[in-house]
Amino acid sequence: MIRDFTRGIWRENPIFVQVLGMCPTLAVTTKGIFGLSMGLATLFVLICSSVAVSLIRKIVPNQVRMAVFTVIIATFVTMADYFLKAKFPPISKALGPYVPLIVVNCIILGRQEAFASKNNVARSFLDALGMGVGFSLSLIILGSVREFFAYGTIFDVTILGKWYEHWVIMGLPPGAFITLGILIGLFNWVNKKITGRRQKLKSGCEKCSNCAS
Amino acid sequence: MFELRLLTIFIAACITHNFVLTYFLGICPFIGVSKKTDAAIGMGLAVTFVMTLSASVTWCIYYFLLNRFGLPFLQYAAFIIVIASLVQIVEMFIKKTSPPLYRALGIYLPLITTNCAILGLTLFMVLREYSFLEAVVYGIGAGLGFTLALVIMAGIREELEFADIPESLKGASITLIIAGMLALAFMGFGGIISS
Amino acid sequence: MKKIIQIILVLTIVGIISGASLVLVYNYTSPLILINQKKITEEAIYKVFPDGTTYKKIEKTKEDIFLVEDKTGKKLGYAFIAEGNGYQGKIDIMVGIKPDLKTLTGIEVLESQETPGLGQEITTNDFENQFINLQVSPEINYVRGKKPSKPNEIQAITGATISSKSVVSIINNGVKNLKEAVK
Repeated sequence: MIRDFTRGIWRENPIFVQVLGMCPTLAVTTKGIFGLSMGLATLFVLICSSVAVSLIRKIVPNQVRMAVFTVIIATFVTMADYFLKAKFPPISKALGPYVPLIVVNCIILGRQEAFASKNNVARSFLDALGMGVGFSLSLIILGSVREFFAYGTIFDVTILGKWYEHWVIMGLPPGAFITLGILIGLFNWVNKKITGRRQKLKSGCEKCSNCAS
Repeated sequence: MFELRLLTIFIAACITHNFVLTYFLGICPFIGVSKKTDAAIGMGLAVTFVMTLSASVTWCIYYFLLNRFGLPFLQYAAFIIVIASLVQIVEMFIKKTSPPLYRALGIYLPLITTNCAILGLTLFMVLREYSFLEAVVYGIGAGLGFTLALVIMAGIREELEFADIPESLKGASITLIIAGMLALAFMGFGGIISS
Repeated sequence: MKKIIQIILVLTIVGIISGASLVLVYNYTSPLILINQKKITEEAIYKVFPDGTTYKKIEKTKEDIFLVEDKTGKKLGYAFIAEGNGYQGKIDIMVGIKPDLKTLTGIEVLESQETPGLGQEITTNDFENQFINLQVSPEINYVRGKKPSKPNEIQAITGATISSKSVVSIINNGVKNLKEAVK
């Protein structure tokens, strides 16, 4: 049971190992706080959908499985979007259209397909929680690193003083790609040191196609 | 002036604000399918086709149904269902009418449903209040831009086979770093639209 | 046959439940969202008119124009929302102008999707404060790379000339529309 939870945080980390859900990962991580909000929104949708899917897994006919999952996910995403708009307008504005794009985040559909539709509610909940926390942590790390280099702050707390010439490119799209590329490389390297064996990276789309089929 | 606006939208969607390299939409196929140039072209064209189609259909649904009857909260659910069904219909249609085309594009079509570029396109279209014609041009531009990024990436990766890359950086890691360089290069086009 | 009925039943029930729950969420959040929007407008008005205490919407015009007064009831000027296209997307700006329609009291960029770190600098106070007490006749101009020398000039942001230029032309247009509207 515990492994259902921890799996998502390191060994099958959705971003660094599975390379899934790239689009929100890269787009909103200009600052740590946005990474955190995106992570929490995704966590919410992931947990709710997993629990819902797990609850109804026995009565949903196989042919319309994907359609039902998608509707459930879209419903929770809409809720999250309206909630952010109502309670946290500045964050909602900063995340913009990337909140609704959670609908097509492969991580969520992938977890329904691979786990929640086959396991009971408690295990599905833990699995979703683990994956969501792993996703959020990765987003926070990526966001903080970029924010630090781009603005000299972390979570809007000034680390480097006025003398720091803002490295603007880190806050722009190229910075996102390069930072994530290097972080994944680092993750691989650390992993190899720990386990002593090569952890082969699975390319993003093999997984993506799995969840589409 | 009107034609100029269309042209601006087209160039912006295609180059200066390339979907993959500035909005990070459609990264999954970008990393996965961009290993061979011909596969990249096939995928790109399939996406362009579906994008143009979904832009027009979702535009009609948004303005004639959702907006008119005050149902904006159904937007996301409606859009994703429309896109998924469109992909299915296109797949069936091509299979019946043009087997050669189906052989070329067929395997990429199911992948498109989870391609966030399509849903992203429809969301941006609504957000920016484009007219019908603008939305269609936007769809074509975004699709071609996606193809362009994919093909360039595939070309680089074919060459990369022969490069000596540190073990840890292999795979997604080096692809992302290259994508970063490409994004830098595309940013340089920013000055095109200055009118 | 039984299978088909089951499919239809499940799809319908899922559809109804999700639709119903969305209606609930929508009904709960939409008044809050409206309040948020109103608050943003209000804060912007009082930013361009720091002495303002009351404002009322001028009903006869199509655009949103607000007449702002201070606590003694003295007319301070007009606040209006000017819209236009920037480098990347729509820009909405709250503009404050004195009753003589010749001098700005300030601006506040409400909405913009410019490049973060470059064009998005138009939302910073450093840029916005240039518009305080700026002359709008004959129209606002921008200069590049040097300090403005005339009372109707502002300095464009380095690396974001297009965004700065867009702001200037959006305000110029807005002022023109306002002059016609309140005539």
